[in-house]
Amino acid sequence: MQVHLPDGTERTLGGGGATVSGVLLSLGINPAAVIVSRDGRVIPEDTLLGSDDEIRVTRVSHGG
Amino acid sequence: MMKGGGRGGAGVPRCDLCEEPSVYLDRVRGCHLCGEHFLRDVEGRVRRTIWDFRLIRPGERVAVALSGGKDSTVLIHLLRRILLGAGDVSLTAITVDEGIAGYRDATLQVARETVARLGVGHRVVSFGDLAGSTLDAMVSAGEDHPCSLCGIHRRNALEAAAAEIGATAIATGHNLNDQAQTVLMNCLRGDLPGFTRPPVSDGTAHGIRRIKPLFRIPEKEVALYGMVAGIYRELPECPYAATALRSEVRRMVDRLEHLRPGTLGRIVRGQEEVAALFARAAGKTGNEPDPDP
Repeated sequence: MQVHLPDGTERTLGGGGATVSGVLLSLGINPAAVIVSRDGRVIPEDTLLGSDDEIRVTRVSHGG
Repeated sequence: MMKGGGRGGAGVPRCDLCEEPSVYLDRVRGCHLCGEHFLRDVEGRVRRTIWDFRLIRPGERVAVALSGGKDSTVLIHLLRRILLGAGDVSLTAITVDEGIAGYRDATLQVARETVARLGVGHRVVSFGDLAGSTLDAMVSAGEDHPCSLCGIHRRNALEAAAAEIGATAIATGHNLNDQAQTVLMNCLRGDLPGFTRPPVSDGTAHGIRRIKPLFRIPEKEVALYGMVAGIYRELPECPYAATALRSEVRRMVDRLEHLRPGTLGRIVRGQEEVAALFARAAGKTGNEPDPDP
């Protein structure tokens, strides 16, 4: 599974069957602070991911 | 507009209101919503906030503080949509250019594109014009608290511009997270006047009301609204943001919201009750919802 992170870096994770939320938490990312999309479509945090999935993580919080 | 699933919806829970793949799990209410129902839900809640608190009244001239960031961009789209049938309410956008290199130019461009698309009047005011110096220059000269200084000058600039155009209300894009962060920051600073200030509407030096129509919408939902509606843009972060107390408080409340969904709302509702109590004790009208709207 390929994960595109908000800072522009990418991570490759093995296996599938995890939820979006589980993947985010394993990467130290709070699901409440980001939005995740797959193939250009927003998906909720309890979506089950497959091993071939490619997801993009967008941080929602900006400013001072 | 970004869609919520279709053939690419493998593993995605369905919307609770239709058969479409969902885009959002609302962990507070325990429901899934597809893109279309999510947009309608947010619009309905903002409409209800405006109605419950009488934020916008017939004949008003509303100045919308439009930075070009996601919150203010979503706000002006929502207000335009909600007020479409209210012919006697007018909207004008005001953008404050603080003079922050590498940051403000991108959002200013988004603001210009937004008002052009919506057909809304636009006024741009700069720190240079009003304070004689850009924020960057003030920081270079030794200013240690750029966010506090920026907040003061931005507020003054907005109010002066709103007064010039004859606005009766200034609408800002503050969301539920902003509001909860402010409540906690006022606690941490021991700022009792700030802690007891009415949450959604406040007077200004020019007698113009400041209103926050998004104050009950979590930041994640504001951003998601922008994405699903096709108006969200990735923008640079303000270079001074990391220096602010707000950044630490933001991380704290985001973590609490994840662990205990609904925390943001409970913080804000608690403060609303305190503000209403103080207002009643002082013989003023608080911002409690109108019991008979």
